[in-house]
Amino acid sequence: MSWNQFVTVTLNGLTLAALYFLVAVGFTLIFGLMRVVNLAHGSLYLFGGYVGWTVADRTGSWILGALAAAAVAAVAGLALQQALLRPIQGQDLREALVTIGVSIVAADLMLAQWGGFTYGFSPPAAISGGARLPVLGIGYPKYRLFILGFALVVGLALWLLLTRTRLGITIRAAIDDRDMVSAVGVNVQRLFALMFAFGAALAGLAGVVGGSALSIASGEDARYLLASLIVVIIGGMGSLAGTAVASLLVALVEQYSLALFPTYAAIVSFLLMVLVLALRPQGLFGRPA
Amino acid sequence: MSALISTRTALALLVLGLLATFPLWGSAYFVGRVFSPALFFGIAALSLVLLAGYGGMVSLAQMTIFGLAGYGYGVLTVTHGQPWWVGILGGLAAATLAAFLFGLVAVRTQGIYFLMITLALGMVVYALANQNRSVFGGHTGILGIRAPELGGHLLTERALFYEVCLVTAVLSYLGVRYLLRTPFGLALQAVRDNPRRLAALGYHVALHRLAAFTLAGFLAAVGGLLGVWYNGAISPTAIDVTRLINVLVIAVIGGLASVEGAFLGALAFILVTNFASSFTERFNTVIGLTFLAIVLFSPEGLSGLAARPVEVLRRWRGRRWRASDTLDVRQAVGRQDE
Repeated sequence: MSWNQFVTVTLNGLTLAALYFLVAVGFTLIFGLMRVVNLAHGSLYLFGGYVGWTVADRTGSWILGALAAAAVAAVAGLALQQALLRPIQGQDLREALVTIGVSIVAADLMLAQWGGFTYGFSPPAAISGGARLPVLGIGYPKYRLFILGFALVVGLALWLLLTRTRLGITIRAAIDDRDMVSAVGVNVQRLFALMFAFGAALAGLAGVVGGSALSIASGEDARYLLASLIVVIIGGMGSLAGTAVASLLVALVEQYSLALFPTYAAIVSFLLMVLVLALRPQGLFGRPA
Repeated sequence: MSALISTRTALALLVLGLLATFPLWGSAYFVGRVFSPALFFGIAALSLVLLAGYGGMVSLAQMTIFGLAGYGYGVLTVTHGQPWWVGILGGLAAATLAAFLFGLVAVRTQGIYFLMITLALGMVVYALANQNRSVFGGHTGILGIRAPELGGHLLTERALFYEVCLVTAVLSYLGVRYLLRTPFGLALQAVRDNPRRLAALGYHVALHRLAAFTLAGFLAAVGGLLGVWYNGAISPTAIDVTRLINVLVIAVIGGLASVEGAFLGALAFILVTNFASSFTERFNTVIGLTFLAIVLFSPEGLSGLAARPVEVLRRWRGRRWRASDTLDVRQAVGRQDE
């Protein structure tokens, strides 16, 4: 592997990690707080992407598209949580089955609405085109650097939210012991609804942000669901730091192995997962169950 | 003077007789396109019922193992030109070995984690099959797979194939029923209900789970061989995430803890896909909504629905029927928060 190729593959890995982080962080926080494995999380990503594309196409504004995607996904997530999951709250397996059912229906309805086409976005001029990177001395798409920065900002904001604000402290307390938090007078149901909407909004937003780097098409829902699953299994459920580290690990390993031995890349992420599970079944940053 | 056979046995024999003679009086379409696939998908669903309903392990990798048996058979007979019996043995061995390896990874986890890990494993195998050309044949997969010949007849001739599927399904059904009554089967159900207590009694919990997972894998592999003969080809689409979930849908429709339900669910599923697709393109929505309705309102599936009137009657008499306690999927598949 030449130096230039190495740098490009590394940067691809980092930007992919940023995207995985954006998608998986909502998934893991929802699980950490509510013990709900939202297997429709990939559907929210795809839904956000489609809606964002439609809005951006009609209005000509990528930013409006991204905001619409986040808003619509938040509403969809909230509806899913309130209408279908809340009545069976606490039965984690049944909740997972419900989200599977929702993902089947959602995939089919989205296929009906948007067809099997591939949609591409055109991000604002300020973040499109290429940039020549100083020091490294290679050219790289500006948009991918934007994703990297955006994920860093989101990660940092989330970390500040969780560690420095009252809401964040309540959320962390609820992740540790829901019943206790509820007993001291916090409205846990409202916290759940908020978290679900927030996680869904991030997934929807990631649909536009990720769709602009790659593209949006039916089947992407499964791809990002898999990415989220592997990231949270490796990183540990409900852990922000774990999600960040696991996103990096999974994306970098994926990109390096794709560059080195393309036909066996899938096996490598499998081995990574096996290795982590063998050494730490609860994930790198997870607490023992 | 007692009756020679009980009503139950008589009924079972009647159903079996009707099923066995079905090619003589049933329509060709129903024999070939509905019942035969229902039987081999039923075997795959049966492997899931064994795991989920009786072992507390909701595995989403059963169709992957089903598909790997097909790949094994295809690779050996088509790519390497081996005779069919080598294909059968090799396919079963490869898929069962894969199940054993998946089991090694997954059995250390429980409940929802188990579901996620098996889903991830299944999706990784799909990605591998899709990317790898040398063994799996990439996106196209392996074409031109021929079923074995039996006395000059190709096994895929409609009536013959149906009978082979029926015999295999009946044997699998009886095998699972028998297994659940053996000490191992009882221990497995105890592991589902309370792994800690079993461990305290000196049972090796993980080993029981691993054994069950491998056995269920063998069952899925048997179904997979029938499936690959039926299709005559195998490609990554046979093990994509939709298929992985479909077998769960089948098992849930039939009732996750019902051995008969696996086949009932498969039959219902195939009827819905075949008939809904003739009047609407959105048959996946129909299936998804059916699945949702069952998970939300009748967690015991179709077989639970049949048991409902009985239960209502008993409740009305003031005697609480014990089985009503398991009307909750979560309890039917084992407590998750141990």
